[in-house]
Amino acid sequence: MATQKIHFFTGKGGVGKSLLAASYACALSLKVHTSADDGPVLLAELTERSFYRDFLSLDKIGYKPLLTPRISKNLSICQWSPADCLKEYALHLLKIESLYKLFFENSVSKSLINVAPGLQELAILGKATSGIRKYGPKMAYSEIVIDAFSTGHFMSLFRAPLAMSEVISFGPMGEQSRSIDRWLRNPSFCEVHIVTLAEELPITETIELYELLKNEFGIESKVYLNKVLDLTDEDFQNLNIEQNKYFSEIADNEKMALQKLKAAKIRFKKIAFVPLIDSLKLIQQISTQMQADA
Amino acid sequence: MIQLKPKTKTLICIGSGGVGKTTFSATLAIGKAHEGLKVLVLTIDPSNRLAQALGMVPDGNIYDLTTDQMREKKGQLSACVIQHEKAFDEFILKASGDKLTAKDIQKLTNNKLYKQLSTRLSGSQEFTSLFKLNQFVESAEYDLVILDTPPAQHTWQFLKAPEKLAQLFNEGVASWFRNPKQSDIGFFKKVLNIGTIQVLKTLETLTGADFIKELNLFFSAIQNWQAPLEKQVLSCHKLLSSQTTEFVLVTLLDPSRVTECQKISQEIRQEGYQLTTIVINKMPHWHIGGSQKYSAKLKNLSDYYVQIEKQLNRLWDTKFDLKIYKCPEVSQNELHEKNLSNVYLQIQPLRNEPLHNI
Repeated sequence: MATQKIHFFTGKGGVGKSLLAASYACALSLKVHTSADDGPVLLAELTERSFYRDFLSLDKIGYKPLLTPRISKNLSICQWSPADCLKEYALHLLKIESLYKLFFENSVSKSLINVAPGLQELAILGKATSGIRKYGPKMAYSEIVIDAFSTGHFMSLFRAPLAMSEVISFGPMGEQSRSIDRWLRNPSFCEVHIVTLAEELPITETIELYELLKNEFGIESKVYLNKVLDLTDEDFQNLNIEQNKYFSEIADNEKMALQKLKAAKIRFKKIAFVPLIDSLKLIQQISTQMQADA
Repeated sequence: MIQLKPKTKTLICIGSGGVGKTTFSATLAIGKAHEGLKVLVLTIDPSNRLAQALGMVPDGNIYDLTTDQMREKKGQLSACVIQHEKAFDEFILKASGDKLTAKDIQKLTNNKLYKQLSTRLSGSQEFTSLFKLNQFVESAEYDLVILDTPPAQHTWQFLKAPEKLAQLFNEGVASWFRNPKQSDIGFFKKVLNIGTIQVLKTLETLTGADFIKELNLFFSAIQNWQAPLEKQVLSCHKLLSSQTTEFVLVTLLDPSRVTECQKISQEIRQEGYQLTTIVINKMPHWHIGGSQKYSAKLKNLSDYYVQIEKQLNRLWDTKFDLKIYKCPEVSQNELHEKNLSNVYLQIQPLRNEPLHNI
């Protein structure tokens, strides 16, 4: 039985996956405090440049998780840059600090790490699954929400462990890669959430990714149709021609999105557009919408 | 309409994913061709609708999209969808001069590392874009070349691409991996090689022996053309920081984007690039008049946009001399040339009066 769960959020650039990841983490964090045994929730972003620092006006954000009581007393936020994950992973594997320095702290290696197929991806997934695999530093979180790569790069992230284990079939690294891959395929531990907008390109990418994940990993992703307006006849009353045209196109796009997702037999949840500027209020409102699924 | 400096030959549209850079680049190109310039627009991964509406095929070739109206004004419009793999091969060929035989090329393009480098490495798309851009600017066939940049999460990834690649092609890097066991080496190289062997061993532990073999092959394949490669990288750099290159940052009417945009625009300018223009794209262009009756939902929406517009004015009380424009939302059903040239005419400088008069 898995005691910890990880949730990956992905989606085409600009669909609002970071906001939904934060809102989902917030929804989860409201649940965990009912049980004294549960650890808090961790929200991790994978970029080299933080989104949450500006969005939530945090003083700093780093590899080490930081509690964010303004959102929830059970939520910590951190930033896992590939370089930091790799450093921790390599140190754990190589054991010797000097060997680590020789290898990682010169320009040659740095540029090689950039091109080594799948090494960064493996390090990130190694970190994400280190708690459940009991490998590396302690990860006392009941739920980990990861604001992951966009749809274009997401498959290369999930494919990395298997690809690596095929290259190195024996030794500790091969064994670990296989174990990471196994955990990703375990539905009681790992969930993928795809965020999309009711627009042509994001919907196409969502359906493609959904099917790849299903076929290659047996994962049934959760899909969120974000920023839905769901306009009714009442909204269309008294509009002039220009306004009518503008909102009709939005309504048509939403209809198109529903049809395409249904035709692909994908279950999804609508997230209503929240016209709020304040980040914290925005997270709270959306997390209420996601509560039932958390 | 958008005003450029008279000397500007190159325009680079940057911005994070989903802001509509590609459509905006096309709109700008059409508008400038109507103003009488010979324009080339280089796009990346346009939506099917946009490509079809404009008559482009994503095959890396240049298409002439000049209309009679443009011709009357002596304008010309060409468009090209960059094919990254093709462009990367082209780059390698050009850099190698005539030193490369057909066999060499095959050996290299079959190399796994080469494939990785030309397609999947972060930064390689940015790099090939710059390479093509440079090529077309150098050809001096166009008055203006507009580049739509790849969907990077953050703008600066694009600007750092040449450096990243240069690091890899660097002589020092390559020499580490070439014949680490050869006998006629000096003392310094011997010391270095002890380190190299350690590093190689470590890499083997981390990635497997095949990778090292590929690496060796790759670096011995490219060893003769270090200099031309670096020259290319340098000239990309020069182009980016040239006085005849302008950057346009494209963003949306969204509170988190506005903050992000403000930070990024400062950083880009500090790095010495000529960021002159910010475009707030996909502006909702519906107005709700004073006496008009509307639903509560639309009223909320309208209030929301008005609030963000107020933020815009506050954020850019401008210490820099940046031009800020708003570009209306383009209907996805009307991506054809005529409508886009209309949209171009509707691009206006941002002023203090709010868009919606409630």
